[in-house]
Amino acid sequence: MPTLIRRQDDDQFNLGDDPFTAVADDEGLPPGDVIISFTRFQAEGDRLLAEGRAVGVRLEPAEEVEALAYDLPRIAVVALAFPKYRDGRAYTAARLLRQRFSYAGEVRAVGEVLREQAGFMVRCGFDAFAPADGASPADWAHAVHRHRHVYQRAADLRTPAYVEREGG
Amino acid sequence: MKALTANRLIDGDVVFWKSGQWVEGFGDADLFDDPEAAEAAEGQAKSQPTVVIDPYLIDLIESDGLWAPLSYRERIRALGPTNHPTHGKQAVGGDVVEALLHADGAARSSGRVNLIKRK
Amino acid sequence: MYQYDAVDQEFVADRAREFREQVARRLSGELSEDQFKTLRLMNGLYLQLHAYMLRIAIPYGSLNGRQMRRLAHIGRTYDRGYGHFTTRQNLQFHWIKLRDAPDILDQLAEVDMHAIQTSGNCIRNVTSDPYAGATAEELDDPRVWSEAIRQWSSLHPEFSFLPRKFKIAITAAPKDRTAAKVHDIGLMIRRGRDGQLGFEVIVGGGLGRTPYVGPTIAEFLPANRLFSYLEAILRVYNRHGRRDNIYKARIKILVAALGAEEFARQVAEEWAKIGPEGDLPDTELARIRGAFATTVFDALPAHSEVFEAAKAADPALARFARNNLRPHKKPGYTIVEVSLKTIGETPGDATSDQMDVIADLAERYGQDDIRVTHEQNLVLPHVRLDDVPEVFAQLQAAGLASANVNLISDIIACPGLDYCALANARAIPVAQQIAQTFADPDRAEAIGELKIKISGCINACGHHHVGHIGILGVDKKGEEFYQLTLGGSGAEDAAVGKMLGPALPYDKVASAIDTLVEVYLRERHEGERFLDTYRRTGVEPFKEAVYADAH
Repeated sequence: MPTLIRRQDDDQFNLGDDPFTAVADDEGLPPGDVIISFTRFQAEGDRLLAEGRAVGVRLEPAEEVEALAYDLPRIAVVALAFPKYRDGRAYTAARLLRQRFSYAGEVRAVGEVLREQAGFMVRCGFDAFAPADGASPADWAHAVHRHRHVYQRAADLRTPAYVEREGG
Repeated sequence: MKALTANRLIDGDVVFWKSGQWVEGFGDADLFDDPEAAEAAEGQAKSQPTVVIDPYLIDLIESDGLWAPLSYRERIRALGPTNHPTHGKQAVGGDVVEALLHADGAARSSGRVNLIKRK
Repeated sequence: MYQYDAVDQEFVADRAREFREQVARRLSGELSEDQFKTLRLMNGLYLQLHAYMLRIAIPYGSLNGRQMRRLAHIGRTYDRGYGHFTTRQNLQFHWIKLRDAPDILDQLAEVDMHAIQTSGNCIRNVTSDPYAGATAEELDDPRVWSEAIRQWSSLHPEFSFLPRKFKIAITAAPKDRTAAKVHDIGLMIRRGRDGQLGFEVIVGGGLGRTPYVGPTIAEFLPANRLFSYLEAILRVYNRHGRRDNIYKARIKILVAALGAEEFARQVAEEWAKIGPEGDLPDTELARIRGAFATTVFDALPAHSEVFEAAKAADPALARFARNNLRPHKKPGYTIVEVSLKTIGETPGDATSDQMDVIADLAERYGQDDIRVTHEQNLVLPHVRLDDVPEVFAQLQAAGLASANVNLISDIIACPGLDYCALANARAIPVAQQIAQTFADPDRAEAIGELKIKISGCINACGHHHVGHIGILGVDKKGEEFYQLTLGGSGAEDAAVGKMLGPALPYDKVASAIDTLVEVYLRERHEGERFLDTYRRTGVEPFKEAVYADAH
């Protein structure tokens, strides 16, 4: 079974099994839990969920997260795609999932996912990562914890500098 | 006639190919009149990503009986900035520098012409 | 000026440490050049023609003596004893080695400086009025807002991988010294009818290949709602800005494609969803404001006998006073502009020794405050009139006393093909030739305010579109040619210049400028600047004269 880096509640990172199979639109569906495109989800999602499977949806950067809003409670994973690591649209999508739609399921980063993005991703609410650069959970944790301070409030629970200062 | 150039990774300095090594002066560079040899060297250079960045071949013209890069940009790379005549490789002076200073060829550089485009 | 606290200091130290690791991974081959490029750019490190270039952030163009002295030291130790101040109030070193870059960032962090987000597709170093806190014209101190934006934008989790770079300028004075209308966002501080502070928000201005003067999308945004509104603008841009074509990726293209009204509507809709949660608490703004309120002025008479007597005795000082001094909000003080446009030198360059002199002067006579202008000059914002003769003498001794601010030889020029990997033509030598053509200071004063701006390529770092006379270097079959534009302005009367005619070869540019000036002197009415005359007469008389000469 393939593995993923997952963020734990205590902000540590470990390697976990990935029970989901990512299925392209032109592939047949294997048994078990699957991650499919939004288009395929619209056509086949109801049926797959009725079969008792856990279903994840993959969103491309141009697909608007609002379109998923209604279905979020029944989606186990939202996989946000980074076709290139320079494409930053998924950061907005993740923040909206967490902060605007209070989505509690897994938000997974897929595609060109590199450890240099780890800090940004965690702050925006991603909690599962399929790195393309072979990064280990230790690399991931190192990148995420590198900065002792942050200036903004975001989707994670980190205390922004302006709150930290009030305490000091 | 061609030469092979790049910027060195560790310090960014302009360097030229000379029998498998990189040298800092254009005057020391290998000159290729055989296109196949030039491309072979370029291929070898491209397999050194921790030594140089973006190696490429440049066209040369004759100037003062010596060879000089055809494009103005490449002559500035081989010499240094024109507003500070003591900065860069031109500071050492000599025949090769004179030949570069007097060269008047004109062509677009084949090198890192537009870094923005490359993104 | 703003003092870093432990949070700010640790933040830049962590960032420097992170970059050291990234450099090590690049040198070991773990990172490819393509992967590393994005990382180094986010720390301001470019590869140019001869070496790496490091662009150091001078947030809103404000620094103190200790910081300036550190820049001088870095120039001496790691470069060739000089640095180049840029049109975004930053400083570039042009001869940097990759292996030294981590040490340089450590040295900067020690004096509360960094190179964060001076490049890359992120929110860049914010620019502001170099006279902030010194001019009587301003409604509020724009540095307070600039510093708050600096912090908010630093490693922003959502907006660090935008479609393209993003530049914000803030001004609080009616005279715009920031080129706010040609920024991605221009913020102009306004006072509402009830006395409340707010911002006029201009979005989608820009230069480059498609120049625009930005439209206003909010006439009056209450000041305490700034950050949620910025978040809304950036979010709309991050989601909908084009990513398929680098030349169409700036926010100006999105604003132009949607129309300002529709763009404003989308921002308003997003803003309503964000709500006040996205704003910075008043307590934090008050803390930052407090950090700027530490400058103490003495009660002085408005008139200085010492200064007046010195002026009467020394025509050079009198000329300097006419051109380089600006009124200060406090009696007995003045704003001193230090020109980095000495005739024949490289515009914007200062040697390490000159930087040390400026640092000394700021500490002794200027409340330890130094500014950088987007026109590539320096400012000592708080100098007593009594001290001006001494300051002038020391500037003279350092070769920094050119009395040409806002005059024809006060030319903006990008580094151009002498340094830059993007350039098509040189800019610096063109500026030098023009300055030499107008070296006679009496003639320069008779010509009056005339802003020449030169870019070595269409990316327009030299702001040529908004020069009263703009000069754009182009590559014609490998040769340097220059396209002239007239009538641009980057100030409150912002306008994009119009092309004069076919591009001119390198050696014809300075004489063409001379011709343009002669036409202006012939045509001008009493009190008109070059720009005013051009606006009245149109391009024709200028065009006729330049191209008649060329034939």
